[in-house]
Amino acid sequence: MSVVLVRRSFLAGLGLAVTGLALGVGIDRDALAAAPPPPPRVALGGAPGLHAGVFVHIAPDGLVSIVCARSEMGQGVRSTLPVVIADEIGADMARVRVLQADGDPAYGDQNTDGSSSVRNGLDHLRKAGATARTMLIAAAAKRWGVKPGACTAHDHAVFHDASKQSLKFGELAAEAAELPVPADKDVKLRPMAELRHVGTELPLLDAPGIVKGTAVFGADVTVAGMLIAVMARPPVVGAKMKRFDPKRALAIPGVKRVVEIAAPAAPYGFKSLGGLAVVATNTWAAMRGRAALEIEWATSDNASYDSTAFREVLHAEVNKSGKVVRHIGDVEAALAVAATKVEAEYHVPHLAHAPMEPPAALARVDATTCEVWASTQNPQAAKAELVKVLGLDAKNVTVHVTLVGGGFGRKSKPDYVVEAALVSRAVGAPVRMQWTREDDIQHDYLHTVSAQRMSAGLDAGGKVTAWRHRTAFPSIGSLFAPNVTHADEGQLQQGVLDFPLAVANVAAENGEAVAHARIGWMRSVCNIHHAFAIGSFIDEIAAAKKADPRDTLLEIVGPPRIVGLTELGVDKLSNYGAPLDKHPIDAGRLRRVIERVTDLSRWSDQRKAGRALGLAAHRSFLSYVAVVAAVNLDAAGKVHVDEAWIVLDAGRILNRERVRSQLEGAVLFGISIALHGAITLRNGAVEQSNFRDYQVARIADAPREIHVEIIASDGLSGGVGEPGVPPVAPAIANAVFALTGKRIRDLPLDRAGLA
Amino acid sequence: MSVTLKINGKDEALDVDPEMPLLWAIRDVVGLTGTKYGCGQALCGACVIHLDGEAVRACVTPVRRAVGHAVTTIEGLSPDGSHPLQRAWVELAVPQCGYCQAGQIMTAAALLRKRPKPTDAEIDHSLAGNICRCGTYTRIRAAVKKAAEEGSAR
Amino acid sequence: MPLRSPSLSRLLAALPLIAIACSGAPPPEPPTPKAPAPIATPGGLRDPASFAGMADPAARSQAMFLEASRVMLHPRCVNCHPTDDSPRQREAHELHNPPVLRGDDDQGIPGLRCTSCHQDTNLELARVPGAPKWQLAPKSMPWLDQTPAAICAQVKDPKRNGGRSLAQIVDHSTHDKIVAWGWSPGWGREPAPGSQAQFGALMAAWVENGAACPQEEASR
Repeated sequence: MSVVLVRRSFLAGLGLAVTGLALGVGIDRDALAAAPPPPPRVALGGAPGLHAGVFVHIAPDGLVSIVCARSEMGQGVRSTLPVVIADEIGADMARVRVLQADGDPAYGDQNTDGSSSVRNGLDHLRKAGATARTMLIAAAAKRWGVKPGACTAHDHAVFHDASKQSLKFGELAAEAAELPVPADKDVKLRPMAELRHVGTELPLLDAPGIVKGTAVFGADVTVAGMLIAVMARPPVVGAKMKRFDPKRALAIPGVKRVVEIAAPAAPYGFKSLGGLAVVATNTWAAMRGRAALEIEWATSDNASYDSTAFREVLHAEVNKSGKVVRHIGDVEAALAVAATKVEAEYHVPHLAHAPMEPPAALARVDATTCEVWASTQNPQAAKAELVKVLGLDAKNVTVHVTLVGGGFGRKSKPDYVVEAALVSRAVGAPVRMQWTREDDIQHDYLHTVSAQRMSAGLDAGGKVTAWRHRTAFPSIGSLFAPNVTHADEGQLQQGVLDFPLAVANVAAENGEAVAHARIGWMRSVCNIHHAFAIGSFIDEIAAAKKADPRDTLLEIVGPPRIVGLTELGVDKLSNYGAPLDKHPIDAGRLRRVIERVTDLSRWSDQRKAGRALGLAAHRSFLSYVAVVAAVNLDAAGKVHVDEAWIVLDAGRILNRERVRSQLEGAVLFGISIALHGAITLRNGAVEQSNFRDYQVARIADAPREIHVEIIASDGLSGGVGEPGVPPVAPAIANAVFALTGKRIRDLPLDRAGLA
Repeated sequence: MSVTLKINGKDEALDVDPEMPLLWAIRDVVGLTGTKYGCGQALCGACVIHLDGEAVRACVTPVRRAVGHAVTTIEGLSPDGSHPLQRAWVELAVPQCGYCQAGQIMTAAALLRKRPKPTDAEIDHSLAGNICRCGTYTRIRAAVKKAAEEGSAR
Repeated sequence: MPLRSPSLSRLLAALPLIAIACSGAPPPEPPTPKAPAPIATPGGLRDPASFAGMADPAARSQAMFLEASRVMLHPRCVNCHPTDDSPRQREAHELHNPPVLRGDDDQGIPGLRCTSCHQDTNLELARVPGAPKWQLAPKSMPWLDQTPAAICAQVKDPKRNGGRSLAQIVDHSTHDKIVAWGWSPGWGREPAPGSQAQFGALMAAWVENGAACPQEEASR
């Protein structure tokens, strides 16, 4: 397999000691070691050598240290971002080590969220590398008395070809350190073609540590004298304790203390949910202690929340006019005169992130300082929250970042970090706050619950002349502000406002919905439900006019063009934080991924041959993705995704291997959403508690094959981690329709007895 | 109460409740953190270790059951990370977040001991209890096959 | 969908009545009982003495087996006597989650043995049920979705009952620890009706009275 051969040569190039088939991975300096990982300022501190900005250090022995300032959670930032810097420098990856940034503001925004690490970071990283290279070259040129422009840097050395001289980076580090850091204008980026590894299949930096069990996740960090806490939280958000008795818990051997944490007031943000923490010498004792607590909970405003009843509330909201958020032409008039009207209502339930590693954080707090090691996507948010809650000076609060054992958005919310710190302060010892799986499922920041009513009018020729999209769902905004009744533009843009429609009359409306649980963002966020409705509805329109769903999708998206605000029918579009002139809504790019995925899957031939295929496409996080799913029924009559094709246009990509793996993972994440995922609440409490009743995809759910194609592009980079997810569920539901004639409008398929 | 366990070939005297799940004895007391907690109810497989070469879930296996038997954790699967499965996992870049992979590898190792050349169905059946939320399943299948092809004689 | 009938256990609870209702039929077997046996309380099991009023030993034996089959067909027992390769769980015989298979020795497959998870005792925090020698009943002993008559025939057939004599069947029913688990199933699970002692006594009395099997219609 050619891919493997290519990868192998890179592994060799990166000094991971690959010889033939014997992969003896002896160098562990690249993986986080089995002790608390040293943050860069500790590891590098006053180390001699070149400190070129905060991201790069070059030691006199030639060791190049590069800081990774985003959290690694499987998307491969630690294997990718440092390579950009190393390529810009001209460093030999075998002599590069990667250090993980703590929440130090010097490294810029570290929030690993919104599929933003590459799209927002690429230029910044290249500049950091180029700065170091410029200084090394300047030092060499000075020593040789030649012009810097006559020198080049590659293979861990600076060369002056004319005089056939060269100096290794290590030999230049001390002299380069004496030079002033050049001004931005004097730092030239290399042409992209000169970046040796970027854009190829890069080796996975942390893989050796992961397969040996030495990689360090949130719960793996140990410090002297630490205790472990497991906490009882209110079953209903906002509920306080009426009464509690810790006696039986304290009687369990190993249990040291029971600590009360006050219930928070709404909005809940990143606050602890409050409750009782059982602090023990080991996790087992803490878990047993928690089970032995006697607590009587008071009621709260949210105790009336019943997700089954709430379905009817949302249903009513989308069956009347809502707040108009997108508007072109006169949709009501067009619907009234339409030759054919197609209507459908879609429901997507609450979902839990359920990362394999439940939240965990270790905190060591004393009177003036707080040091934390956490599996976090956002060390700076954690730090800000700690400063606020503990009342400490920001400079005395440190948040170290471990590997994140699955994030999906859950771990950008640092409530568990706050808990660790509060308990540590209460007991006067370092404390690891360990969430159990039950805690994770029952006290998550849930993906919202939604209803959407879609209406289309078709003329006699089958052309769509009217498109009305009504959506209602509790807003993420409710997490941070009181009295939030509608979704903000940032959430509505995710499919409702930005989907290109070659339709003359368009309206989108947002109904009212009040949150009764902590609503948070989960991988691809509102695109999950919006893409499900849009992708399914276009398939329904195709069925209504007895047309090929691919042709109908392309017809509705319309011809290749840039779709501006006017055509969209909106006043503004936050566009995932990116300027529209650089990252416009490009119908041509959306068409291209649709065309490629239908070619790749032999859409027409296979459909003619009777294979049940479903198609959907969506733009999110500035990238374009189309998915074809093939489904069949197993012996028990359950839907199985047999094969999937996914095509991505994310502009320039840096690490083909991790991009492919993210798309493979997105297909499985989408399968979980389509087939299994549903959190329900009764009397305000989550009814599920573990993988027995909150099921996620298991190996048998995985397609035999997932075909990934990445559109070659040197355009500006878009996101990768999230955009693969949204089209998967509608593609599956459309394939189920092709197979069974049954239209799935309520997720998951489990509910229809189909999974 | 003190019990002695043989973990990765080394005798460890532990002062623990014999009913404590091996997971917590291994992680909190011995200090080997490669074995992960994922669900605590034998539903996800993140904590799979070997007891005399057979895969067991450490989160539900009491310490007393391991007395007199050989406990192997991911750290002891091979001396240097060179088990065919570990090599295949790196070469095919199987892990995403990596948290479940020790359990996946330990389960696959137990499978290969009994079925050196497993079929596709056997791989799916034996790994049915190991959840990967990142969705690396297609690569897990490929890596088990690759390791099997390259000989799992050890 | 798995092969199952959620209403089966409810049906079976009413079985003795149905058996009596059917007994007016002309065939020579089973002879008409002389006196109806008292109805058991929910969750209870009638003891052998309850059937003393039935004069005909064969009819008595049949009735006793029907009563004992309320245990056998209870979710705690039938869930591990599937007709296929997958155990069931919970009251409605859901497919076991995680998905597991019986394997060559009814104790699981490589890497996923029954004892990979199940211990010799119930685990309350983990909710995992356990008893010594936790395993599936062999495929020759399917009870799930079977009639009492079919189960009776299987239980009596040494080719399908693990080569046991009737005395060994009684001993297994009365003393086996994995059978005992049915009455102390742990976390949130409904125990089998009665007690193991009562079940054993019924099985013993069934054998003493001729080990007669109920008619197929008795379960319909």
